[in-house]
Amino acid sequence: MKFVNAEEITFSWGDTEILHKVSMEAEEGRFIGVIGPNGSGKSTFLKCVYRVWKQNGGTIWIDGKETSKLSYKETAKLLGVVAQHNIYDFDFSVKEVVLMGRSPHKKLMEQDNAKDYEIVRKALKEVGMEEFEKRSFAGLSGGEQQRVILARALAQETKGFILDEPTNHLDIKYQLQLLNTVKRMNKTVLAAFHDLNIAALYCDEIYVMKDGKIFAYGSPKEILTEDLIWNVYEVKAQILEDKNGNPHIIYCP
Amino acid sequence: MQFKKNAKLRTLDLKEGMFRGMPIYVCTMILLTGILVLSVLYAVTVGSADLSVEQVYRVIAYEIFRYGDPEVWASGAVHDIVWVIRFPRIVLGVAVGMGLAVVGVVMQAIVKNPLADPYILGISSGASLGATLTILLGAGILSGVSIGMGAFAGAMIVSFAVIAISGIGGRITSVKLILSGVALSSICSAFSNFIVYIADDPERFRTVTFWLMGSLAGAKWDSSLRVLVIVICAILFFVTQSRMLNLMLMGDSTAITLGTNLQPFRKIYLIVASLMIGFIVYQSGVIGFVGLIIPHFVRGFFGVDHKKLLPLSALCGGIFLVWADVVSRTILPKTEIPIGILISVVGAPIFIILLIRKTYSFGGGNE
Repeated sequence: MKFVNAEEITFSWGDTEILHKVSMEAEEGRFIGVIGPNGSGKSTFLKCVYRVWKQNGGTIWIDGKETSKLSYKETAKLLGVVAQHNIYDFDFSVKEVVLMGRSPHKKLMEQDNAKDYEIVRKALKEVGMEEFEKRSFAGLSGGEQQRVILARALAQETKGFILDEPTNHLDIKYQLQLLNTVKRMNKTVLAAFHDLNIAALYCDEIYVMKDGKIFAYGSPKEILTEDLIWNVYEVKAQILEDKNGNPHIIYCP
Repeated sequence: MQFKKNAKLRTLDLKEGMFRGMPIYVCTMILLTGILVLSVLYAVTVGSADLSVEQVYRVIAYEIFRYGDPEVWASGAVHDIVWVIRFPRIVLGVAVGMGLAVVGVVMQAIVKNPLADPYILGISSGASLGATLTILLGAGILSGVSIGMGAFAGAMIVSFAVIAISGIGGRITSVKLILSGVALSSICSAFSNFIVYIADDPERFRTVTFWLMGSLAGAKWDSSLRVLVIVICAILFFVTQSRMLNLMLMGDSTAITLGTNLQPFRKIYLIVASLMIGFIVYQSGVIGFVGLIIPHFVRGFFGVDHKKLLPLSALCGGIFLVWADVVSRTILPKTEIPIGILISVVGAPIFIILLIRKTYSFGGGNE
């Protein structure tokens, strides 16, 4: 069953067309990657899926439901989002930030109850941050903050995740730590990546975007070829295979 | 020294801690309510007329509990000073202080900027222009409620305008916010002054000077209670909206991924906040900086969660204004300073300090 299904999405900023008839789907339980150079539209596409922006044309279904007919609350019960920019200059505690993940499940005036606090604790444990509950969010390192944001998405108790370049600016240790945690959840994941090697390690299938269109689609092994990298990124590369059979990209300037 | 003080506060854990089975912030609310009541009871004994503490409380006891001899305590100069002049004025002070602090908190969440304050954003000036215009058009036949509504309309127009102007070209920044506030504020005061200048009957606009300075003098029971009721209802409303206000600090995109489109809420909150400011300004004039200082102070101890921030700021704001009023009535012999002037003298330097500390944020995380 398709968890995310987007058909012919177009999106324009003024006169500039950023997405041109982009179709993408994510089978339930699969880890789907989206790669492409800066300005290829991968982040814009994901923002249309998680509804921060509204596409000008095309339809998106999540879990079989058309998103334009869902309330934001209903969408937030289906998709948790870990996005690129999470620089908050305020002093919420870690617990308060994660607790906000419960808001899609809350009525307007409903208070947080024992069950919510239990879910928050579980989510923090899942990302290895249970001892940071009372710490100030702003005082954490970038890697820790991103793990707290992941815990917030976990607290939403959704079937699917969208990762919108979540590991940018993180040290490699934290990148792997974050993605390992996500991988362990066995949720449907749609993730945009900058780093092709990281994408190759975690994704079941990869969409390659260029100039607002889908350029290629397939398993990492099929997709990551020297020709494709030259055509999409205009960089010469060599593909090696590691002992597990994963493709690795070496750039040759 | 500073570090030690912080360490001590950490161990007390004001934000999450419990005291005898109650969250510490709830204990603090009870404590502050007690301090507010005591402050009111003290403030009512202070003034230029030389009354004894016993006389004052006798009048209050008679008026509230019908205790005592009506012959002595139900009328006369002592009764009038305590019950007709002082007490409604102090009640107005409590309402104004609570209201300004809470409007500050709400405005800061709406624009996601801790420097927002109804005075700095020009909303108070908008309210006084609204009131002045209503008086001009109504030629003195209008009731207090309709002048209050005029002030509400003025406050609302300015608050929507200031957010629209500072939002031009993307993100609302402190600089754009303050500059558009200053600009709108000058336009509004210019028009207010113009109306007074051309008015055929300057006596009718005697009050404009009072609006510009901010004063609690001239409070009456019915108008003071009206402001108090509006302010308390609005505070209760905003307390129920704590989750939304918290989400506002996370920003629009994050709020959408958490299932909430903030735009309609922002509008409703601006309208309710303008209603509060309209009636506050109509009764007390333009009093600045309360909405800036009080929330800043409370955040420093209890964090940014609006469930705690709103009621604590309201109580601190009420206490602050009662004491500011006591000082304004007693600091100069035989005369009083308008409370707005007094608070500006203290508040403006604090505002400058906040501006200088560029790293200042909600609660001061990245300092």
